Amino acid sequence: MKSDIFDVCVIGTGAGGGVMIDALCAAGMRVVALERGARLETSQFLHNDELENVVRDAVFSPHQLETYRFDEKSPSETGRFSQIAHCLGGTLTHWAAWSWRFRPDEFRVLSEEGPVEGASLADWPFGYDELAPFYERAEWDFGVAGEAKGNPFQASRGKGYPNPAHPDRASSAAFRAGAAKLGYQPFAVPMAINSRPHAGRPQCLYGGACRSYGCPIHAKATTYSIHLPRALASGRLDLRTDAMVFELPVSKGRVTGARYLDAEGAEQEVRARQVVVAGGAIGTPHLLLLSKSGTFPEGLANGSGLVGRNLSFHHHPSAVAVMPGEMRGFTGFEAHAAFDDLHPSDAKRGFIRGGVVAELNTFTHQPIAWGLTAEGIPPPYARWGGGLKQYLREFPRTLLIAGICEELPVEENAVDLDPEVKDRFGLAVPRVTHRQHPNDLAMYRWYEQKLLEVAQAAGAEKAWLGRIPGIHIDERQAQKGNAHNHGSCRMGDDPAKSVVDRWCRSHEVPNLWVVDGSVMPTNGGYNPTLTILANAYRVADHFVAKAQGQELS
Amino acid sequence: MKHEHLSGFSRRDFLVRGSLYGGSLWIAANLPRPKALQAAQASREPAVLSKHEWATVEAICARIVPTDHEPGAREADCVNFIDKALANEDAQALPLYRLGVEGIDAVAQQRSEQSFVALEPAEQDAVLVVLESGQAPGWPAGPIPAQVFFETARAHTIIGFLADPKYGGNRGFAGWRVAGYPGPRHHLGGYSRAQMLGEAPISPVWEPAKKPAKNT
Repeated sequence: MKSDIFDVCVIGTGAGGGVMIDALCAAGMRVVALERGARLETSQFLHNDELENVVRDAVFSPHQLETYRFDEKSPSETGRFSQIAHCLGGTLTHWAAWSWRFRPDEFRVLSEEGPVEGASLADWPFGYDELAPFYERAEWDFGVAGEAKGNPFQASRGKGYPNPAHPDRASSAAFRAGAAKLGYQPFAVPMAINSRPHAGRPQCLYGGACRSYGCPIHAKATTYSIHLPRALASGRLDLRTDAMVFELPVSKGRVTGARYLDAEGAEQEVRARQVVVAGGAIGTPHLLLLSKSGTFPEGLANGSGLVGRNLSFHHHPSAVAVMPGEMRGFTGFEAHAAFDDLHPSDAKRGFIRGGVVAELNTFTHQPIAWGLTAEGIPPPYARWGGGLKQYLREFPRTLLIAGICEELPVEENAVDLDPEVKDRFGLAVPRVTHRQHPNDLAMYRWYEQKLLEVAQAAGAEKAWLGRIPGIHIDERQAQKGNAHNHGSCRMGDDPAKSVVDRWCRSHEVPNLWVVDGSVMPTNGGYNPTLTILANAYRVADHFVAKAQGQELS
Repeated sequence: MKHEHLSGFSRRDFLVRGSLYGGSLWIAANLPRPKALQAAQASREPAVLSKHEWATVEAICARIVPTDHEPGAREADCVNFIDKALANEDAQALPLYRLGVEGIDAVAQQRSEQSFVALEPAEQDAVLVVLESGQAPGWPAGPIPAQVFFETARAHTIIGFLADPKYGGNRGFAGWRVAGYPGPRHHLGGYSRAQMLGEAPISPVWEPAKKPAKNT
């Protein structure tokens, strides 16, 4: 079958890749999808536990390996820092399902704020109005549950959410009360989790093990549960899992397909007329940089030198509280309630940009996470001994509040190839260089105090600032990884300042597309997935229209 | 060579970190291996630790999560969890434990001329305090700093106390009882709205399900 040429090869099956695969198959194209991870079964999700899933991360990303360094002068350490999943459906398969639309100003940060020293602010090549209809499509495909008028600071929306908001748990009710006491306007976090049966998928059972877990009943919307089954049913998808793409070969300035290692480590090659890379903001630049050739000695489509650069996360100021009564943080899903009053940018606060604030159970939904985050805790608690035991006993009464705060992009924050560390196939692993811009630290510290006030207003017996390793930041320590990865192949109209154009097509290679979080020039103050999905629907429409008009070069 | 069992390991091997939400925990290498844990935990016999190593690690665990009016790490059998992990998924950390036990004994000898297990609890705590600080007189020079051993043992104790009992710790759900965690509910139908709000009780997984009230 070596002569077989597919219409499109899509690399990655998460938010960007899953939507593209589905749309292209629906339009009649023959698609081969290459996923580096395994095909997991929902039956196994029923039995996954906190040790194997979260602590060892042995289910979703058994082979993930990265290095991290603070800056170019610092030594790198080896580990697994990105909270991403290498499996069918990508990180969505174990995501937490928060589903926001960005605010209009979040698409034009450079215009809104002007240049900032040490940051690489940029406007998106399009605005909210262009993305709005695709946000709506993503919300309906994903069955997002929310309050249409809940957030007074949200972007205008044409219609409400397809499903009603979820109920509170005790911790989100307490958070709402504290926030309201301070004059904030709390509302239910829009979640891509069914609050009633939707599109053939059942209602959530609120079992608590949601973030970092696969949903055993498909109540949580994923490309694994929606787009990939639809694409497979078309009969036009050749889905190959355990397929680690290591090179996109080129001929006459075009990519010819993909070369990959299969489950046995044997080299395979597929050929396709168009190639869509959707490996996420770590995986995509990693693959482009691995694909060095005579035509592209610095990596594929890297004439700008920006492949891998401007990698951004979010930063997460947090407050932890012990409350008088049971909080039941181990029920429901990650985040039930939020307020957005602190989100609008106001330079008078000593920093620009902002983010949403939410009650979430990231470290309170299961006991090991609570135990291992016993850092920076006030007496009588302690890291070990009787004080640790007392801390563990507080687990049922804990409340966690955190911000999803916009990080300023910095050109030196980057993904490249580690010069020493190799993966199990002998490929150079991705190396992340990341430090915080001073604006991040100013925002983080300002938010921390606001979050502590909310905890106290909610009636906390004790409250402290989160000092969770890997999440807490200061002048000397930055985040080493995050679930929210953006910007490392930014899109824009100027080929000198961006990797892909407004349609997410490479400026240099006409049949190469990047459709994932890596194209986002800035990251907004909300979880990014709905934006990645909406942009993928937008690109898919364009791609299909061009293909049907025989206009794809 | 005194530490022959360390040949082939570099310090870097021990510092491959686990990730908990992007954090960098002091968990030695967690590169997955074929899982034999669940079979191994069927036996409480030491799989890889010697009798003295077992006793020493058990004593350390018992100071990390001490016993009071409720069970601690000793009753939860955290040492069994660690032994089985070192025999399987965490095999890469076994040399660290071997050297760590030698090291903690050397520190205890220098302070009190006794092995760690023979010390009174308060004196054991004093030894752990210096290990945690990284300034541990008597700790042998070598690839493993005292702090790395302490932090690894601490993290493993917490995990053993609170992980599913099938891994060999959390015996009798001791850890979950202390933490007030009723256990996973994926397979039990989740929670009702009243349970989420704290308005209805929750039966822990280790208690037999209550029979539904008969219709009258």
